[in-house]
Amino acid sequence: MNEVKNADTWILLTAKPLAVDAVAAFLRDERAGAINLFLGTTRQWTRGRETMNLEYEAYEGMAVEEMQRIAREAVKRWPVEKVAVHHRTGVVRVAESSVLIGLSTPHRADSFEATRFLIDSLKETVPIWKRERYTNGEVEWVRGSGRGGEAHQA
Amino acid sequence: MTEATSTAAKATPITVHVLFFSVLRERVGRGEIDVSIGSGACASQLLDELSRVYPAVDAFRGITRIAVNQIYVDEFVELTEGDEVALITPVSGG
Repeated sequence: MNEVKNADTWILLTAKPLAVDAVAAFLRDERAGAINLFLGTTRQWTRGRETMNLEYEAYEGMAVEEMQRIAREAVKRWPVEKVAVHHRTGVVRVAESSVLIGLSTPHRADSFEATRFLIDSLKETVPIWKRERYTNGEVEWVRGSGRGGEAHQA
Repeated sequence: MTEATSTAAKATPITVHVLFFSVLRERVGRGEIDVSIGSGACASQLLDELSRVYPAVDAFRGITRIAVNQIYVDEFVELTEGDEVALITPVSGG
């Protein structure tokens, strides 16, 4: 199951483009004074190399479990009314979005902190990997930003 | 299919289902295998066995995290029959 959705949490792993408007509508809440949306997108240029696309591979069941776990953690630490964590699988072209973090809180400061926590935690623990395909034909697995990531391309 | 059999296998070996992803999946050449190992073995012993058979597992051993039944565990957790054991190299989602 790649989707978990209830009244205040929406977790999704999908091969389709991310539904930003649907997430914004989901997060809207009369208790909230702020909705914060973060999109991670495929960047064209990295250190002088041009990217054609990114391809994401997920350990699907566990990825959804981990996305739920970090969402629960955010709800524990900040006054979050609603939270969404969506991630793409498969090929994501330049300028398209691969990840969407969204949440609503009574006040804006909490929404920024909780969003930062969620995207940082996702990059550390959620079992998803990306392979970068460059316009010069090179393809490589991106070194993880999490523990041990510096040696990932050994 | 049994890919690696523990030399320390006891009278009643167990079988666990091992998953590879990303760079490990590519270098091992497949995404999943069943492994027979001595009952009472921990995840660390399973990694020892896999490292002997697959150079890629050995190469990434120092930065591989283990998940058993979709939860991160430390290497000393004891494995049981039918466990799903995933070798997780540093993740790069987002």
